[in-house]
Amino acid sequence: MIKLDPTIMNRVTKPARYTGNELNSVKKDHNRVKVTVALALPDVYEVGMSNLGLKILYEILNDRSDTAAERVYAPWVDMEAEMRKRQIPLYSLETFTPVKDFDLVGFSLQYEMIYSNVLNMLDLAEIPLLAAERTEVHPFVVGGGPCAYNPEPVADFFDFFVIGEGEEVIEDVVAVLAEWKEKGRPEGRNGFLKRLAAVQGVYVPSFYDVSYHNDGTVATVTPNCIEAKPVITKRVVKDLNTVKFATKPVVPYLDIVHDRIMLELFRGCTRGCRFCQAGVLYRPVRERTPEKLLNIAQQLVENTGYNEISLTSLSSADYSHLREIVTGLIERFSDKGVSVSLPSLRIDSFSIELAQQVQQVRKSGLTFAPEAGTQRMRDVINKGVTEQDLEQAVGAAFRQGWSSVKLYFMIGLPTETDEDVLGIADLAYKVLHLYKEIKGRRGAKVTVSVSSFVPKAHTAFQWFGQNHTAEIERKQQLLKSRLKDRGISFNYHDSRTSFLEGVFSRGDRKLGQVLLAAWRAGARFDGWSEYFKYDVWLEAFEKCAIDPYFYANRERSEEEILPWQHIASGVDKEFLVQEYQQAIQECFTPDCRRDTCSACGVCPGLSVEVLDWGNQAYE
Amino acid sequence: MNKLRTEITKGEEIRFISHLDYARAIERAIRRANLPVAYSEGFNPHMKIAFASALAVGVTSEAEYMDVELKEAVSVEQFIEQLGRQLPAGIRLKQAKYVDQRTTALMAVVNLAKYTLVVPVHADTDPQSLQESINQFNQALEVRYVRESPKGKKEIDVKDYMAEDIRVEIQDGFAVLAMTIKITPTGSVKPGEVLHALVGQFALNVAEDGVLIHRTGLFTTDGTKAVPPIDLQ
Ligand code: SF4
Repeated sequence: MIKLDPTIMNRVTKPARYTGNELNSVKKDHNRVKVTVALALPDVYEVGMSNLGLKILYEILNDRSDTAAERVYAPWVDMEAEMRKRQIPLYSLETFTPVKDFDLVGFSLQYEMIYSNVLNMLDLAEIPLLAAERTEVHPFVVGGGPCAYNPEPVADFFDFFVIGEGEEVIEDVVAVLAEWKEKGRPEGRNGFLKRLAAVQGVYVPSFYDVSYHNDGTVATVTPNCIEAKPVITKRVVKDLNTVKFATKPVVPYLDIVHDRIMLELFRGCTRGCRFCQAGVLYRPVRERTPEKLLNIAQQLVENTGYNEISLTSLSSADYSHLREIVTGLIERFSDKGVSVSLPSLRIDSFSIELAQQVQQVRKSGLTFAPEAGTQRMRDVINKGVTEQDLEQAVGAAFRQGWSSVKLYFMIGLPTETDEDVLGIADLAYKVLHLYKEIKGRRGAKVTVSVSSFVPKAHTAFQWFGQNHTAEIERKQQLLKSRLKDRGISFNYHDSRTSFLEGVFSRGDRKLGQVLLAAWRAGARFDGWSEYFKYDVWLEAFEKCAIDPYFYANRERSEEEILPWQHIASGVDKEFLVQEYQQAIQECFTPDCRRDTCSACGVCPGLSVEVLDWGNQAYE
Repeated sequence: MNKLRTEITKGEEIRFISHLDYARAIERAIRRANLPVAYSEGFNPHMKIAFASALAVGVTSEAEYMDVELKEAVSVEQFIEQLGRQLPAGIRLKQAKYVDQRTTALMAVVNLAKYTLVVPVHADTDPQSLQESINQFNQALEVRYVRESPKGKKEIDVKDYMAEDIRVEIQDGFAVLAMTIKITPTGSVKPGEVLHALVGQFALNVAEDGVLIHRTGLFTTDGTKAVPPIDLQ
């Protein structure tokens, strides 16, 4: 057990990040369980604690009497320095056990810019960074989350990955581990991994050899043992009503990023935005029943004491019985001072009505995501929203008394012209003028937030060559020069961060050495602008003689073997190819949720089906 | 309306949380306890609870005070039982009492705080020299201290806020300091700041960074007798 010297805690910022003891945290005696799991999120406490997936896994694992699951996050730079100085290994927040003493260390990989933190945490934990160098005394390191769908850039550092939804597969993994341990660890580490490879959704990268063509593209990905399957298909929960949800989550003392109840109405979103990776990975749509949701909410209020319930899903406003749920929650909990919030609003007046009903705090304004500035561009990305829709929604909001609006856009999309970029400015001005028209005076505040498009694996745009940083910066400046009104504030992302994200999101195994070199040279917290060291990364690419532009900016052909081709989301390649063509032709593909099936392949392929109580009855 | 005055603790388990964190934790516990607590009117209703004095990050306490307004009366026993069960590790509800609704706010009545500081002594330090440093501080007429904050610098006289002499004892490598500090309408001094002045200006030979601060009590005093706010008539 690690004992913390108060001297360290007195020195670091927000020491409560490191002292645990939060409500609902579960402390078990490791001698009385068969399997111990450290659940890690490679970012600072406030971010890590906000992750819903890990909360669910924590509860599922700790509900098992044979398993202890504990949390671990990336220490902030000041704490890291203190830990290194005093040789304190990375430890868990429940029992202050060194992470290296756990059986399993699971990292939730939410986005590529935290890869350097994974390495840093392994190093702080005194676990060899390379899976190949780990021995009997070390834990197994597993990765999951959206980045696991292209795990190749970090393949060297993980013993295995879990592809897809974790609720069920995590129990399979624990069962295999418990049995292997009980039998006296037959055949050592590889013995466990071979047994595990039989579990659907488990990918053991060392069981595959990758060869490359002279031009650097992948030639083959070949299993090198009989246990390895040629294709690893994601895990998907058929019916969310039958699996556990986080009903007794750890309640932090610190004010974390999402410091509220997170009520997941449904999983999946089939609106079919062609840039969106989550829209592919979490297919099909599966709703929880309203009864189930009210029941979960009740438990959550009782177990946490939070005063806010946030309806989280990829597009919460699409929930079939949203009004019923919102009304139900308000009726049940408003006298306890508990409010309801909708993090994402659909662009229509129904959403405004709901926002009004839940009395969302006015000063924070309403957020909409038209994603692109012109109708043409929105047709390309399959964002089924028109200018009229936006005008109607924003107009309704202004009439209801809101005056500040935040609009989310992307630049760098396929086929984008300067006209499309400037369309963003036009839209912002239209919103500004709309306020004047309705209210008869100026006074609207429009925030235009523009991110740079990063093509992601498994999407229709996975073949697209990302815009170069210079091109992105030119577009940003172009937009900036047009957005001069004091009623409009404009913010945009660092093009270099998006570039690096692009490299890793579609990278292959050769990038492992770059990551290692960059981490050695001091890269960490790359997602935090104050710690992002672009030079360090460029030097690392140079040192390893790896061309980053090859990964980010190159248009791939449909014949090319993509580094993640052996990982299956269930969506057919043919569907993605067709969607890319539809995009170029500016054609719309409807949402299969309440419209016809667009034959993406998930439902028949994985024997699942859409569960939506808008068009089917539930029991 | 029914106003309850409570005495609660902040223990070792949560030493490093801030006052805001502490207040939020209690709010959530009250909600979990299903007590009929009152909320303010308006757009963003908040729970009607009020504290006597904020406790800094790194400081534990024997006795904090909080007033809670209830929409309807519940018996003190029931309140203690229901809330007690929901308090997280590190917060204990020691006692509760109904007070007059119009009673002066806690913040306005508390004017004295007592602390114990346990701080590691540097190796081969003569205990006598520690006592000497403390004596000099106690005898000083004024002790200038510059407080730096994001808002800028401000000079205070630490002695303006010292209600009594500091006492020191040495126990296996630690100096144990007892301080009594005035809380005035125009300000106060933090025990950590007093320690900083002792180390910086009176050569107190201790490892300041390793200090553990504990508040032993909050009081109302008229200059003669110090009474905990829960015992006020
Ligand atoms: S198979 Fe059809 S219904 Fe199922 S997710 Fe794909 S498009 Fe939708």
